[in-house]
Amino acid sequence: MSAVAQEPAVVLDRIHKQFGDLVVVRDVSLTVARGEVVAIIGPSGSGKSTLLRCINLLERADSGRVEVVGRAVEPGAGVAGRDLAALRRSVGMVFQSFNLFPHMTVLRNVSLPQERVLGRSRAEADARSRQLLERVGLAAKADTYPSRCSGGQQQRVAIARALALDPEVMLFDEPTSALDPELGLEVLAVMRELAADGMTMVVVTHEIHFAADVADRVVVMADGAVLEEGTPEQVLRSPSTERARRFLSAVVDR
Amino acid sequence: MEVLEAVLLGVPVTLLVTVAALALGAVLAVPLAAARRSRVVPLRWLGRVVIDVVRGIPPVVWLFLIFFGLGRDLIRLEPIEAGIIGLGVISAGYLAEIYRGGLSAVHAGQWEAASALGMGGTDTLVRVVAPQAFRVSLPAVTTYAISLLKDSTIVSAIGVSEILFRATQSARSTGAGLTPFFVAAAVYILLSAPLAWLSRGLDARLRARVAR
Repeated sequence: MSAVAQEPAVVLDRIHKQFGDLVVVRDVSLTVARGEVVAIIGPSGSGKSTLLRCINLLERADSGRVEVVGRAVEPGAGVAGRDLAALRRSVGMVFQSFNLFPHMTVLRNVSLPQERVLGRSRAEADARSRQLLERVGLAAKADTYPSRCSGGQQQRVAIARALALDPEVMLFDEPTSALDPELGLEVLAVMRELAADGMTMVVVTHEIHFAADVADRVVVMADGAVLEEGTPEQVLRSPSTERARRFLSAVVDR
Repeated sequence: MEVLEAVLLGVPVTLLVTVAALALGAVLAVPLAAARRSRVVPLRWLGRVVIDVVRGIPPVVWLFLIFFGLGRDLIRLEPIEAGIIGLGVISAGYLAEIYRGGLSAVHAGQWEAASALGMGGTDTLVRVVAPQAFRVSLPAVTTYAISLLKDSTIVSAIGVSEILFRATQSARSTGAGLTPFFVAAAVYILLSAPLAWLSRGLDARLRARVAR
């Protein structure tokens, strides 16, 4: 990890989130430095996706504080529109189900948010979009519709769409879970490059190899709490809790 | 021949009533559908009551209420105006439910993605969700339009000289028996068939571009 970081990119301070009586995230605190890549792993239902979604306020934590590049909000106490807009602008997100806009071409998918959110002109936005599509290896797909792209291609477009808003932090919510293993690889390749370029990334994933190779830090969650946290070597090779050991043996020895 | 001419005279009126009522309904349905999906509970409830009342009263009763009630006492309404308003109001009730179905058919991930990208609610609705909801709703809207075309015969009850009105007149004056009604039936088929074909073709093309 590059230790140049001044203020952290993301600070989650005692985040608590429940749906009805079900506590999904239990007082979790997590700090992500600038340029750091954090992988969150854990069994289904462990609250890892919910925690991720608490960062960009797709889920509003019931209590706790969320701070992104120095701007703090307390979702439980209400969020001002201006804070929400600023936060969403500095955080990009990639979903498991891609969520491209199916009625627009690939190029429009990447350009529309730039025009609506950053006020770029159509020409500026398209230029930036083409540059990013080139970067994710999809320049040739600019004028096709998402339905004509493979899942892996759609996910790479979704990454380009998020990057087009020049975010400071990128969130990935199981970006390869809906993909064939081979198609997943092309998405992981793009993510590797992004990490190498110094992007701050928080990745919820089941891809243990990606976590081992790319992440600076691995966080293991279960039952809404953080079980383990450390470098990939520490956490993946010698987990200290029995629960983490059980989960890891299930994914690593597969 | 005389009969055919008489019936054809009603075609422009039938088309005018249908198209105008559909247009009026399409616009009025927007706030109704919005109310039905509102986060404000009383508003949702109000939308529901309005839709149920509008759809629960038989069309001919609506026309009498508007033409003989509103049209005579408050403002002067021509029969055709009353017909358009009446069918327009009823259409609004049905179309609002169709819109609502279309909106709920759009995957929640679309709202989330737009929201995560920092797009506002109105922007998301207008640019992302509504175009997809429109695609999903189109077959139901066309089906409704076709049935409205046929149901517009009801405005003959308040004296609008559309196809059925002309056919009835012709039957009475020429003593041609059922012939004018057969002619009217053929004309209705000729009017509605292209609409159905058009809708099927469009639907197949648009459906490919909706998230599910």
